[in-house]
Amino acid sequence: MTALSMFQLVSLLLLGLGLLGVIWRRSLVGMLISVELMLNGAGLSIVASGQLTAASGTVGHAAALFVMGLAAAEAALVLAIIIVVAKRYGHIESARLRTLRG
Amino acid sequence: METLAYVAFGVYTTIILFGGLLAVFSRNLVRALVGLVLTLFGVAGCYLLMAAPFMALMQILIYVAAVSIMIFFAIMLTKPPVGAEEQPGRPWWVVVGCIVAALAPTMLIARVLHVQPLVSHEHPTEIVLMDLGQTFIEPYFLAFELISVILTVAMAGAVLLAFERRQGQ
Repeated sequence: MTALSMFQLVSLLLLGLGLLGVIWRRSLVGMLISVELMLNGAGLSIVASGQLTAASGTVGHAAALFVMGLAAAEAALVLAIIIVVAKRYGHIESARLRTLRG
Repeated sequence: METLAYVAFGVYTTIILFGGLLAVFSRNLVRALVGLVLTLFGVAGCYLLMAAPFMALMQILIYVAAVSIMIFFAIMLTKPPVGAEEQPGRPWWVVVGCIVAALAPTMLIARVLHVQPLVSHEHPTEIVLMDLGQTFIEPYFLAFELISVILTVAMAGAVLLAFERRQGQ
């Protein structure tokens, strides 16, 4: 097995764990944690592709940094949404949220 | 040297796997967050193995420092059930369904990886930081600016949303 395949398998593991978490978790915070796992897998996969193939490593770095920036923005927004949901309904369980009206 | 790299890879993978399982299956949300932080450190170690120390540093600065703290605030600011625990107990068919749903896309991609092995360099290419900076200010200038605009908008939106008052109060 090549080095690139090994790193890609690790990122695939992170993707699988993140997917499982999004389905498994009941609270919105738990789902946010799982989404972060998946985004990490994406970053790892991109950097591995840049570093271990003939593709430009610099572009790989830049793309992974963009993914990190987007993850930070997404975490900030989801945090605000979770706080609004907790204020309005008194809980953050996804299955018990029936309406999302403004 | 090669053996040492494999040992380090094994250690980092174990850390990632352990942290990920803790993050997904721990019922206590704070413990799940600790699992996520462990995974983030494992991924930073993988970046170090790929000769990308700058990415490892950014991983620790952005994910471990900023994003984890934000998630911790989310846990603290939402009124969690006693001990920050989620509701226990699920019927077995839900458990099986969850695992199958998560495995299906993963297995599909793993099969592609198996059938079409990736051509890989044995040694990672070294990145000079000056080149990375050059990439950000020359060909990807627009994307670089846009990501800062997106961050600003997200922060402003988050503040607006969180300060919202319920009607009639």
